[in-house]
Amino acid sequence: MGAILAVFDYTLREHVRRRAWLSTALFGLVLIAGGLVTSVLAADQRARMMLDLGLAAIEAIGLVTAVFLTVGLVLSEIESRAVFLILTHPVPRWQYLFGRWLGTLAAVALGMAGMALLHLALLAALGWSAGGYGLAWSCSLGSVAMMSALSLLLSLALTSEAAAMAFAGFFWLLGHFTAEMSFVADRSGSPFLRGLILVFARAAPDFARLDYRDALHGGAAGGAWAAWAAVYALAYCAACLALAVQLFEQKEF
Amino acid sequence: MNALSLRGVRKVYRRSHLGRVTETVGLDALDVEVRRGEVFGLLGLNGSGKTTTIKLVMGLHLPTDGAVEVLGRPVPDVEVLARIGYTPESAYLNRALTGRENLRLFAALSRVPARGRETRVAEMLERVGLSRAMDKRLSEYSKGMLQRASLAQALIHDPELVILDEPVTGLDPLAIKEVRTLILWLKERGKTVLFSSHDISEVERVCDRIGILSAGRLAKTMTQDEWRGRPDALEDAFAASVARTDGVGEIKL
Repeated sequence: MGAILAVFDYTLREHVRRRAWLSTALFGLVLIAGGLVTSVLAADQRARMMLDLGLAAIEAIGLVTAVFLTVGLVLSEIESRAVFLILTHPVPRWQYLFGRWLGTLAAVALGMAGMALLHLALLAALGWSAGGYGLAWSCSLGSVAMMSALSLLLSLALTSEAAAMAFAGFFWLLGHFTAEMSFVADRSGSPFLRGLILVFARAAPDFARLDYRDALHGGAAGGAWAAWAAVYALAYCAACLALAVQLFEQKEF
Repeated sequence: MNALSLRGVRKVYRRSHLGRVTETVGLDALDVEVRRGEVFGLLGLNGSGKTTTIKLVMGLHLPTDGAVEVLGRPVPDVEVLARIGYTPESAYLNRALTGRENLRLFAALSRVPARGRETRVAEMLERVGLSRAMDKRLSEYSKGMLQRASLAQALIHDPELVILDEPVTGLDPLAIKEVRTLILWLKERGKTVLFSSHDISEVERVCDRIGILSAGRLAKTMTQDEWRGRPDALEDAFAASVARTDGVGEIKL
């Protein structure tokens, strides 16, 4: 546990010093632009537009930041050989990997929390007072966590940051169509094609399970829904990390 | 009792590119034993297998064949790493951290108890002459300072076995003298020191025994009695034992 905390701590410091928080500044620009564009609307419409725009921007910026930070997380340390020194200390490899991932997720979560504060301040100024913001933010963090765990796995499997980023983008896209893919698989006549489509559908993160918009508007966003969404996100992250550990355990430096 | 023993160790690097597999023999039937409390020097040309030997001992590589035992335990073994201090040939440290943060990280990874860790970190930085630069980031350190920071991380947990890979390569004469003094200080304290070098004059000044590596094999071992008081004895033995394997010919005058 001590090793995980130590690796978590230095990873978080590293990201903060490498200005991962600039994502919050980017979000500020999005809000300013959104404010200018929606200034012609009536107050209640404007608040709703800014709410949707802000939440979508928080998730998008969080996702991009997480993927960028995670694909280079271990590969950069292998290239600079900093990983040599870490692994010549009594640190099981899974603890190193988990600490690195957790530190990165914490850095992105801090950025997302900063964005949320800015966003809430703006919404309060516009007179918005509906609930569900915390749930929406948590669902976005769940999506970010799943994508960062997947990116880490891809980076270790492909050993190339560019390829890992491309594949992460591909799976992110697939993750929005898992239900459609399962539907197509069910109607496919070829068992091979069916199996192939299902493999991709299961491998991609199913973002529909964390879609707070549908849940909120459909009135399904109760405690049980939130708990299942959390269980799915945690299980997906755990599966990706377990596979990443398997790959990392076999590496020689 | 031996601090370290390698028996019949063979290491073959396999690389495959477009289905074509190439094999390079890094070590071949290597037998080396290092006794507790001695300073043992691994001498050899570039590519002779010095660093490969050290990486096998540190668990960064796995042997293709043979057995490696460190402090009575077969490696790879994460637990035994808590009793070893290792400095690689270059200071592979995370440059985003300060000298103090870096040492704090390695103290935590090496299981230095939390109580008294800060004192130990400050003492070690003082010992290696970095106390005035401890709050500067490592990206601002000179090569000599980085080498000292790397030595500090190897010694922070008071290890039984200290492994130094090419510790004097690229250092100025004053720094070389300090490294020599450090090795002798470790020996006085009963530590076992294994260091690799191709600098014969350094090795003969500090080692109790040496092993000459050539083409991945142990070509010769010598004790201090065999070279003390006999100028050029070690150099002559070295020249007679090694063969170039890097494809470089002699300089013709």
